[in-house]
Order: sequence, then structure tokens, then C-alpha cells
Amino acid sequence: MIRRDFLKLASTAVGTATLAPWVLEREAAAAAEVDAVKSAFAEAALTRAKVLGASYSDIRINRYRSETIVTRERQVQNVARNQDFGFGVRVLVNGTWGFAASNIVSADEIRRVTAVAVDIARANSLFQRKRVRLAPVQPAVASWKSAFEKDPFDVPLADKIQFLLALNDTALKTNGVSFVNSSMRWVNEQRFLATSDGSRIEQYLIRGDPQLTVTAINRETNDFQTRRSLRGPQGLGYEYIEKYPWQADARQAAEEAVEKLKAKPVEPGRYDLIIHPTNLWLTIHESAGHSTELDRALWWEANYAGTSFLTPDKTGKLRFGSPLVNIVADRVQATALATVAYDDDGVPAQRWYLVKDGMFVDWQTSRELAPLVGHKTSYGCTNGDSWASVPFARMPNVSLEPAAQDTSLDELVAGVEKGILIYGDGSWSIDQQRYNFQFGGQTFREINKGKVGGMLRDVAYQSRTTDFWGACDGIGGRSTYELHGAFNDGKGEPGQVGVVSHGAPVARFRQINVLNTSVSMT
Amino acid sequence: MLLTEADSRAIAARLLGYVKADDAVVFLQSEDYSHLRFAANTFLTSGKRERTTARVTVWIDKRRGSSSTTDLTDAALKQAVEDAQTFARLAPVDVEYLPSLAQQTYRGGQGWVDATARVDLPARARQISEAIAQSENAKIIGAGFHEVGLLAQATATAHGNFHYERGSIVGLAMTARTPDGSGSGYFARNHVDVARLDTRRIAREAIRRAVDSRGARMLPAGAYPVILEAQAVADLLDSGGMSFDARNADEGRSVFSLSAGATRVGTKLFDPRINIVSDPFRPELSKFTASDEGVPAQTTYLVRNGVLETLRYTRFWGQQKNRQPSGPLGLILEPSMPGVSVDEMIKTAKRALLVSRFFYIRTVDPRSASVTGLTRDGVWYVENGEIKYPVRNFRFNQSIVLMLGPGNVDAIGVPERVASSEGGTDPLLAPALRLNAFNFTSQSDAI
Repeated sequence: MIRRDFLKLASTAVGTATLAPWVLEREAAAAAEVDAVKSAFAEAALTRAKVLGASYSDIRINRYRSETIVTRERQVQNVARNQDFGFGVRVLVNGTWGFAASNIVSADEIRRVTAVAVDIARANSLFQRKRVRLAPVQPAVASWKSAFEKDPFDVPLADKIQFLLALNDTALKTNGVSFVNSSMRWVNEQRFLATSDGSRIEQYLIRGDPQLTVTAINRETNDFQTRRSLRGPQGLGYEYIEKYPWQADARQAAEEAVEKLKAKPVEPGRYDLIIHPTNLWLTIHESAGHSTELDRALWWEANYAGTSFLTPDKTGKLRFGSPLVNIVADRVQATALATVAYDDDGVPAQRWYLVKDGMFVDWQTSRELAPLVGHKTSYGCTNGDSWASVPFARMPNVSLEPAAQDTSLDELVAGVEKGILIYGDGSWSIDQQRYNFQFGGQTFREINKGKVGGMLRDVAYQSRTTDFWGACDGIGGRSTYELHGAFNDGKGEPGQVGVVSHGAPVARFRQINVLNTSVSMT
Repeated sequence: MLLTEADSRAIAARLLGYVKADDAVVFLQSEDYSHLRFAANTFLTSGKRERTTARVTVWIDKRRGSSSTTDLTDAALKQAVEDAQTFARLAPVDVEYLPSLAQQTYRGGQGWVDATARVDLPARARQISEAIAQSENAKIIGAGFHEVGLLAQATATAHGNFHYERGSIVGLAMTARTPDGSGSGYFARNHVDVARLDTRRIAREAIRRAVDSRGARMLPAGAYPVILEAQAVADLLDSGGMSFDARNADEGRSVFSLSAGATRVGTKLFDPRINIVSDPFRPELSKFTASDEGVPAQTTYLVRNGVLETLRYTRFWGQQKNRQPSGPLGLILEPSMPGVSVDEMIKTAKRALLVSRFFYIRTVDPRSASVTGLTRDGVWYVENGEIKYPVRNFRFNQSIVLMLGPGNVDAIGVPERVASSEGGTDPLLAPALRLNAFNFTSQSDAI
């Protein structure tokens, strides 16, 4: 479930001069000292947990760095730099979980907090109905870095600010543009996991999320339209800024925001849709990504994110989509947001099919979930979004495979009599069992007799998951495949945010219900 | 361990003592949070986190810098100030800079209850075990979430302001499902005072709704009269679909904008019985009474007797428009006459759908504050004063402003403390509403 308000931007304005790569030298130095002794800390926690009666324990000692720069028009609104360092201890006592976390990373605090975790587990275990059982895992000792080229934390802030203001300038040059908001957010996770099984795993991840929104306003008619960038978060470093044609995107966004003010309102009805990967990723996320989470199917998320229309007895038996549809789960794809080497259970990253030739065939699992559907091992989907969060099952990258032959966008369009071509993600909503969804977009182009025509506005498509994927009769080839994703996938209680990518080629869906979302205030 | 007021004063004084910049604001926050999550009638996860943060923001020649630390030693606090000053020297001029606040006058809040801070682990485990037992006895599968949050916050400025406050909250949300998946019910409440949290009632209500929603019938989509329970109203109001932000309205990008730079302030947009108020002091809300930068909470009528009276201002936009800045929000929708109970709404309804909750609400048209979303965990068909049968879920597309507009509001209930089911623990006071029309646009198979 993509959260509405993930970015709570802090308030530090930082400017045009060069800044040291990591200005919080004191914290960095303190963290380096802890790095040197964290293995010893981990041993202390795991030993203490065992002495206190835990049958399993793990400790994550993690440091998170983030930097967010926010601008509007020709001014910098916010720059926030944060460093968040701490540890969380998870224990199993009598088949019952306990967890405790603190930002004071010291030997005494680790011993105290480990005891708190055990106390919580023991108190709850007196009333526990079903004991937790974990699928086995081979202990791993490993160190891994994600596939970035240029660490964004080594790039001067001045360069980043200059980039965003230049982007805004480009958009503002288009006649009719009223406002431009742009931002970039960088995250570095430095994770250390030690488990009582013997795993000792270090991981270093970088990801970035540049954003641009152009607003065009007609003050005479009291109308306004926005157009967001078609690019979003990626598991990339600063090379994402340097290699993607952001200026061209800003120009196009500005022109299309203005064009939307004059676009033809869509006539509600059934249309053939050609959906670009910039839009389809979110539909994959909500309809296929969440419905194949095993914890949802077992009603573990019933109180918040919801359950699933898929149930264990439907594995291998339910037709999810047309035979063209192959949906794969993946934690090894380079530059994807949910890619890791090992999950927070110490399970190695893998790739597997969820939907094969249109049939629903498998689940997303963790060590705790896997035995519940007869799997001997976990697919490695456990993740905690902070040292202070309890790790639990989170979505891997879930993607629609491209067709074997390299079908182009134009070839798919050529097969449409009356349809709409959709780019960019807009409004999104789906029910708690992942049947009924409604998605908007950023731009919509009319298709008439196999040709792309003028712009439409106020479009949303609404369907039912298996009807929608069953209506897929054309899938683009590898050359149309793109990876998009989210920084703000909400799940769990207490709520955690996940990061996840979804790859897709362009695809065609027949006779999908389209709404006009405009409402008159007069 | 939460910071005390004395601790906070001392830390703030140390931080401000290190500042060599022209201006500074200090914000301190300490948290002690614990939870117990259950599903499928068994405990899932349970944990506790403790976190303390000190943040300092400084201005040098109107250039701003900020940094934060979780280490409260002298050396660490001094370094935090130096880091912030380093940022400030590198920053461009903050064109929205306003001097930090001088000493403000704050009304005392009532957001802390000692008993809530004393909730212990064995007692909680027993209490949630009893909620699960209620489910087991009713042959229901229960899932839910119990949390206790303790928070202490302090703000201090170089111009002499200081404010300290603590808040406690305890809450339980529960979803009950029939084992065959044909019925589902939800109920959630939270409070600052653990003595005011009736966990048995929460479990009982969730279970009743699950049982009563079995065997739902599919009705065609369309515009129906509805009775929205307080939870459903809170879900809509907290969705972000209707923002009272003044700057957006003035800039022409809000439902409250009018052509040629004007706004709808002063116009009768809502039913004349509707008041929308921000009042964090209301005892049933008892929210924090100062913003992070120290702006005191006020009681403000955003909508009075159906007229949009004012919007909400940041310090900067308030100064631009010669308006008082808005403090923290404590949202209340209340009638200007005694409210009607849900039972009375049902008894006097000729035909309506009774909706207990909404889910996954997202904006589809900000020009009209239109949102889409779905009903969840209980819809019933009401006819001639009686609940006749449960109904399958719907998707809706609806303008919140038009929903509350003149001619569409039939009856308004008694406001009660309820948090959005999708938005965490932040409470508002929302009444049930009976509306003449609500736009359901498609059916959902979900239960």
C-alpha cells in the first residue's frame, strides 16, 4: 500500500557553496568506532539472549544516512541531512517473538535492551496460541554493496541545488507554467546483521528519488493541472542525475501541464488501453505485488493493509491473467530498490515466478512464513525499515516480463481501434483483498484506428485484478522494458515503509472501464 | 526514558549557550513506544523502542542551518551546534526567514496520564489474550494491534521562548473475520488515558460487525443515501482530500481557490449546521499545544455554520497575508445543534446504506476535493427504520466538499474521538453523518 505522505521534509536550508562530503564528522567518527566493535556487541547480545532463554536471536546494528533537498521555482525550501544510528534485538522465547531497540549503541545498553526483548517475549509466551517455527537457513558471512556508480553523499550540495534550480528554470520557461516543485532524496543504508544461526552480514545500499511537479493554472477559469516527472526512485547513485535526460523531461512536463488545461475531457466508457511502464509499475505493485504476499493470504495483515483474494489452495490452480502474463519476484536485479544480497533473516536474495503463463504459482515468503505453505526454505523477503523496527515480510521487486519477441509500442498501438495511451502514475486505490482497483495517470492520449492522437484529461481506469490481467493481449519486448518504483510502500503495524521496484514493458489491455474523474463545483 | 522538563530546560540552555549565530531554535523529543500485534488468533510481533533526539536550527545573516543528534553529552551538543552553523554559512538566504519566537503564552494541555505510562507487559499480554479469547468463543478469527506511545517534546528559542509538554496515548484496533471469510468487522479507539480504553468493547464491536456482515448481497453501483459512522467520516476527513492550507488556496491550486486570485473564504460552502474547528485543547482530543517551532495552539473556526471562515497559515504565509500563524491542528467536525445518534439515524431513515469504514482513500481531483476509495468491514442496507441485510463493498468517487454541502447533509451525529483507520493514532472528533447522496461507482468483491 503506497502511503500518502511518506516525505515529512525537515527544515534545513543549505546553499550554494561546497560542503564537505559528510559534514557530520563527529557522528561519522563515532559510528566508525562502533563499526570496529559491533561484532563484539553482537556476540554480547546473542550470548545474553541465549543465557536468558532465547532459542533464536538476531541483532541489527544499522546506520541510515539521508539527504533531502526541496525547491520551488527559484528558491531552495529545505535541505535536511539526517543520520540515524541504533540497534534492534529480536528474540524467540518459547516460540514467541520479542523485540527491543535503542539509539544508544553501547555494551551496557545492548545487554539491557536484549533483556527487555526477552522479557517481552516471555510475558507474551504465557498466552501464545501458536508457536513460531523458522525454516532453516545456511549461515552466511558476507559483505555486499549495491550497484551504484557514484555515491551521492560524495557530491557537493551546491551541485544538487544547482541541478534542481536549473530544472525549475527549464520548466518555468514554458508559457503558462505557474509553479514548479522539485526535490531529490538520497538514502544510504549501512546494515549489519548477526544471528544466533551464525550469520554475519554487512550491506551498503544507495538509492535516490528525484521528483519534479509542474503546475499550470488558468486563473480565469479557476482550473489547474499538474504533470509530474515520469521518473521516480531507483537503486542508483548520483549517476542517475547525470545520465537521465532530466532537462528534456522537465521541458516535456511543462508543455504537457499546459496542454492538459486545454485537453478534451474523456468520455466514460470501455477502451483498449496501452499502458506505459511509467504507469503499469504501480498497477503491478498493487494488484500482483500485494496479492502474492503470503502473510496477507494468511490474514496476518487483516487489521491494516488487508488480506488477499489469493489463498494457499489456489496455488498453481488460479488463472491470474492471460497466458502472455509472466510475473517474477526478484531481489537480485541490479539497480532495483528491493535488491539486497541477504534479507533480515540472513536468507540469500533470489528470483522466482509468482505468475507463470498466466497461472498463479507461488508466494513471497520469510523464514517464518515458508513452512506454513510447505516450503522447506524461505524466498528471503524479510526486512525492517529501521534499526527500531521489527523485521517482517516485505515485497521483493515484482515485475512483468517482456515478450520474447521485441514488440514495439507502435505495433501495440496499431492493433487498437479506439483506445487510450497512458503515461505516468497518478491517483491509485485498491481494495483490501486486491480485487477492485482504480488508477489515474499523468498524461493520456487518444488512440483512433491505430494512431495516437490528442490529449485527454480526467482519465482513470477501473478494473478487477484477474479481469484486467486476463484482458492483456499484447506485451512489448525487451526494448520497451523499464524499471520504476516507490520509496513509500506502507505495511505492518507499527507501520513501516518499504522500497520496491517494478519492471514492465509497455502492454495492451482490451476493453477496460474508464471514468471521467472531473467534478463540477458549480 | 522520557526527558523531564528540568532535563529539557538544561539541555536547551546548553545548546543555546553554544550558539554563536544570530538566531536559533532548539527542539527536543524523547519517545518510549511499545506494541503488541496479533492475527489469526495468536500473537505476531511485540516490541519496544526508545529514542531521544535533539535538533538545533540556526540562522546567520538569514541563512539557515540545522543538525540533530541523539547523543546528549556536552561535546555532542556543542558539535551539533557547530554543524548547524557550518550549514548556515553555506546556505543561500532563507527568503522565508522570520525571527524565532519570543516567550509565548501557552495554555496547559491535558495530554498526559500517568496510568498510561504504567501499562506493563504481562497485563497487556493478558488483556490482548482476552480479546483473542472473545474471538475464539465467537468462532471468529481476530487480528489487531495494541500500542502505547509516550512522548516528551520541548522547544526553545534564542529569543527566550521555552515550552515543554508530554503526551501519552494508548490504542487498540481490531479486525474480526468469520473463518469462512464471509464476514469482516473492524473497530478501533485510542485515548490519552488507559482507563478510557475499553478493550472488551473494541473486541465486541469488531466481532459483532463480522457476524452481522455475513452473507452480504451485491447491490448495483450508483448514488445512495448513506449513514456514515464516525469512523468512516474520520477516514474521509483525514484523507488529505480537503486541505485548509491558505497558501495553496491563494495560489489558485485548491478546492478553496476562485478565479482571478480570490478564494472561497466567506462563502457558504457547507451545510449551515456544520462547524469545522481546530481545537487541540478539547478534553476528548488533548493534543500537543505547540508546534515544533513553538507556535501556540489556538481554537479556530475554519467553517462556522456552513461558511468557510478562514484557512490555516504557516508563520511565513501569515506574515505575508497579515494573519495569525496557525498552531497544531486538532480537527473537529461538529453540528451547531445537538447531535443525533446512529440508532436514531437508522430508525428515521427511509432508505440508506450504513457504512462503517472506508479504505485506501486517494485524491482524484484536487479542484473539487474529490477522492476515491472503498467501503470496508461492514455495509448494511437500511429501509424504513431497520437494518435489512448486509451489502457487498463498493468503490466510491466523491467530492468531500459537495458531500458536506447544503442540501446533501440530512443529519449530524455526536462527535467522538476516532482516528483514521489508515492514518495511525492521530485523533479527531468526528460525528456520524446521514447524507442524501454518496457516489458509489463500482462493486468490490473484497470482504
